[in-house]
Amino acid sequence: MALTAPYVTNYLTQHFADDAFGQVDGYVARGGYEAARKAITRMAPDEVATLVKDAGLQGRGGAGFVAGLKWTFMPKGADKPKYLVCNADESEPGSFKDRILMERGPHQMLEGILIAAWATGAEKTFIYIRGEYAFAASQLERAIEEAYSRGYLGSRVMGTALSHDVVLVRGAGAYICGEETGLLESLEGKKGQPRKKPPFPAQYGAFGMPTTVNNVETFSHVPHIIKNGKEWFRSIGTEKSPGTTIFGVSGHVVRPGLYELPLGTKLDEIVFEHAGGVPDGRRVKGVIPGGMSMPILPAGQLDVPMANEFLRERKSMLGTGGVMVMDETTCMVRVGCVISWFFRDESCGQCTQCREGTGWMNKILNRIERGAGTREDLDVLLDVAGKMEGATICAFSDAAAWPVQGLLRHFREDFEAHVREQKCPFPASFEL
Amino acid sequence: MANVIIDGVAYEVQDGRTILQALDDLGLLMNGVDVPHYCWHPKLSIDGSCRLCQVEVKGQPKLQIACNTVVANGMEITTANERVQKAREGVMELLLVNHPLDCPICDQAGECKLQDYAYEYGLTHARTKEPRRPLKKRADLGPTILLDQERCILCRRCVRFTREISKTGELCVASRGDRSTIETFPGAPLDNDYSMNVADICPVGALTTKDFRFKIRVWFLDERPGVCTGCANGCNVFLGVANNQVYRYVPRRNDAVNDTWICDEGRMSYKRIGAADRVREPMVRSAGGGLASAKLDTAIAAAAAKLRAVTSGGAGVVAALGSAHATNEDLFVLRRFCEALGTETMGVAVPTGRADGFLIKAEKAANGAGARALGFKDAQAVADRLKAGAVRALIVLGDDALAVLGGEAALAKLECVILLATHHTPLERAADVVFPARVAAEKLGTLTNHAGRVQRVVPAVEPAFEAYAEGEILARLGEALGLQGFAPGRRYDAREVSKLLGEAVPAFAGCDVDAVGDEGRPLGGAGAR
Amino acid sequence: MTKNASAAPSGAEPKELSAESRARIEREMAKFPKKRGALLAALHIAQEEHGWISPALAKTLAALFEITPIEVMEVVSFYNMFYDRPQGRHHVYVCTNLPCSLRGARGLLRALESHLGVRAGETTPDGRVTLGHEECLGACAYAPMLRVGPTYHENLDVEQAKRLVDALE
Repeated sequence: MALTAPYVTNYLTQHFADDAFGQVDGYVARGGYEAARKAITRMAPDEVATLVKDAGLQGRGGAGFVAGLKWTFMPKGADKPKYLVCNADESEPGSFKDRILMERGPHQMLEGILIAAWATGAEKTFIYIRGEYAFAASQLERAIEEAYSRGYLGSRVMGTALSHDVVLVRGAGAYICGEETGLLESLEGKKGQPRKKPPFPAQYGAFGMPTTVNNVETFSHVPHIIKNGKEWFRSIGTEKSPGTTIFGVSGHVVRPGLYELPLGTKLDEIVFEHAGGVPDGRRVKGVIPGGMSMPILPAGQLDVPMANEFLRERKSMLGTGGVMVMDETTCMVRVGCVISWFFRDESCGQCTQCREGTGWMNKILNRIERGAGTREDLDVLLDVAGKMEGATICAFSDAAAWPVQGLLRHFREDFEAHVREQKCPFPASFEL
Repeated sequence: MANVIIDGVAYEVQDGRTILQALDDLGLLMNGVDVPHYCWHPKLSIDGSCRLCQVEVKGQPKLQIACNTVVANGMEITTANERVQKAREGVMELLLVNHPLDCPICDQAGECKLQDYAYEYGLTHARTKEPRRPLKKRADLGPTILLDQERCILCRRCVRFTREISKTGELCVASRGDRSTIETFPGAPLDNDYSMNVADICPVGALTTKDFRFKIRVWFLDERPGVCTGCANGCNVFLGVANNQVYRYVPRRNDAVNDTWICDEGRMSYKRIGAADRVREPMVRSAGGGLASAKLDTAIAAAAAKLRAVTSGGAGVVAALGSAHATNEDLFVLRRFCEALGTETMGVAVPTGRADGFLIKAEKAANGAGARALGFKDAQAVADRLKAGAVRALIVLGDDALAVLGGEAALAKLECVILLATHHTPLERAADVVFPARVAAEKLGTLTNHAGRVQRVVPAVEPAFEAYAEGEILARLGEALGLQGFAPGRRYDAREVSKLLGEAVPAFAGCDVDAVGDEGRPLGGAGAR
Repeated sequence: MTKNASAAPSGAEPKELSAESRARIEREMAKFPKKRGALLAALHIAQEEHGWISPALAKTLAALFEITPIEVMEVVSFYNMFYDRPQGRHHVYVCTNLPCSLRGARGLLRALESHLGVRAGETTPDGRVTLGHEECLGACAYAPMLRVGPTYHENLDVEQAKRLVDALE
């Protein structure tokens, strides 16, 4: 039921094999909540935000925005309540790192939240966890209760003037609630339809109040930065992308699972050395490097360091670090069918391009897979994907367009073969 | 104020407005500067979802939606270049992916924004081979509206209307993605005083009124500006006319009166124009006691004879009841008529009913305020004189005062009752002469709404029978009586009366039929806005 | 995602909330600056009690939240985990997103379909199981997998999955 520790651990996950780390006593015994104590008792809020900003911690929820910088957007002063939101709606296919961070290290995340609360002056944090993560939610709920009972949450945190409350909110099955303003709508008890921007959450967020939204993993890094300093953090990872992340490796590999590795670790190292490569001597055909929204890379391009500055050069992105490996039997049109169905199903339906484009791409891909596609369909697919990009309320539409573009960029021959032969030429591929 | 440049032209616009709002304020939107849009509506909250109104803003890498982009000083906006055109084309193509191509059987054809914009901004051919989504074609949303879910483009105007304007909230978008549909809650139909507005604001043929559905193709309709006479609000409307018949009212935007809305009751009041119970000819009470049809001249002569007989006994024995349905011009002629007869007993009864604090006003006639401004007192004043036996003859416009006067019995004592009526009324039983009057849609004139705004009506249809503006009937009668100011042989001209009214009654200065235009002007003199 | 499976056989349409459910909902409301924030929580609670959100139950909830019933129903319709018609006693959802599909999830779903004699999206005639498929449950490395209600079962083969389903009462 609960996840086991990652195959490769680092500072985030070093104690995850240890059940006690998930309990408040075990956490404290391993130095837990000392970073929060240090921040709250010995550092000014601005100092904390600046430290985290200077450490260069990028948000780990997919967009990669510098976390400390986001904190500084929050208005100063206390004329209205300010909120933090912990985005625990991890729904990106291929991604399951936040789940383990909550199941095995809930106090580490809560400590990060506490530090962010001090830095931003937020009085309350809403943790929005996807509805399907029932076990993770139960662990969090317990951890929150423990933290209250030990004075790490509530009024006069650790005997200081800081008060902070944490509320756990369960989602109910909608990928779009991982988008930060879709999440805010859902938090308010509404449909999770993203808000048009401006206004941005730092001005008008949860219940209309200034709000900062960070991801589970982002918060989990924060205590380590406070404890060890920005130089330490910057010594891990790449110059532009410091720190580790937890890569989730899935698909056709010998050891699918979680791997906490420095950002900038090469993709081929992850796939072949850590995850053991493709089983049964088959070869890799393509790898999606960062969760399903991110464009696929072909076998020949896996020598890329896993950090945005390098992945962008290959027209992909780190996303949530969900690495999906496909072997040589894989039909890339089927991959397209699965991906496009997901985005069709999960589109909130507000914006024209997204609502109609996701469905249209899915129908075309299904038709090509059935053997009824034409060459023109391939151009239409790319054209529709182009129309869906950069023109909607949120980035979901882009996220739906990129994988299709990636598949056609690197595996156009698979599509053309379907058209030519009027059937799927990959009988050994995974079942659709 | 902010200085912006739109397509190379400099404009000064109000701070804090979005590009579309600013264009709307300037009166340029789709009227000089074309920024096509579906979800945006000037009187609803900004939705930002249809994405059609994208424009280029200098310095911004992506196109911006004009509906939600606030103007800033120095902003340079381009509404028409290849990039913008490409974006519109993209939205249009995607909107049509699931839209049935059933224009030949769609009631919206001819006034459909999807048709219009597809023609103007869309691709020339469809590239979809996929079946469209099958949904409900005739969802019965309530007593007034049908929904074709397949045609819906999910702009959500109707949903916002019910939440923000009617404040009844019957509609929602259910489900998500390309399964989204407009729905009502089981047992809670779309049923409110303003429900039919959703059909007006629906940019496509998804929402149609049961009343107008399949009556006539809209391109046969001539849309003539007018005013709803259902209550004192005087909502501005277009009368949809074909074959000399009014087929519908749709609201005409007037931000000082009704924004872009009209209540359902008012909208349906167009049916009064062509109603079966219209008075269709003059009638004179015969010796046998019944009313018999007569030529106009005969009726005028009969009425004049009756009045002359009464008034020969002295002035002040005639009383007049104006109608709040009549125009300012008609009432002005009645006032002149009374003055010439030397009577000061002039009243008006305004029927009343429910008001809602929004558009629906308690006075259920369009011109109560005009009658009062012209010196017509409450009908009670007339009733009191009647009761006192001081009145021997009565001239009545309409029948709204019957109850106040004490019913038919109270009138039976009178020697002469002259009735000018648009529709048959119980008052006829007491009348000696009945004249067929025109309704507002059949004549030129002005009406003064509850807030004192003088608004114009123009003849949209010609009655298919003999009927006259009350002013004209009274002018003829005055002429027959040889009253002062009623010169013989002059053709009745409502425009001329309107000008005279402006000159004679200071409140109406600058408010004649030409001066008020299609938008109306407040009472109170030429200088007032 | 399959939601709103074909209606399961059921008794009367649920309408009321137990005192316990109401108390839980009130506790949730107190956590938010506006009580509407607790609507998702309330729907979870109501569904725990009744299995689905009927129109009558939506009215009851709407009254508690001082909103219109249709505001409740539109939220229900938006989220996969809320149901506007009766469901089987157990939800069996097979994750069929890409990582799971690459490792045979769709074959497993087919096998369960024929084993139970229903298609994904349907409920067994005895009302025991509603079978469905779902989009990514965050168990990508442990595929194929399914969830039974809130409980994840990972690294399954077809025989294990059948046994699991058979054991549901």
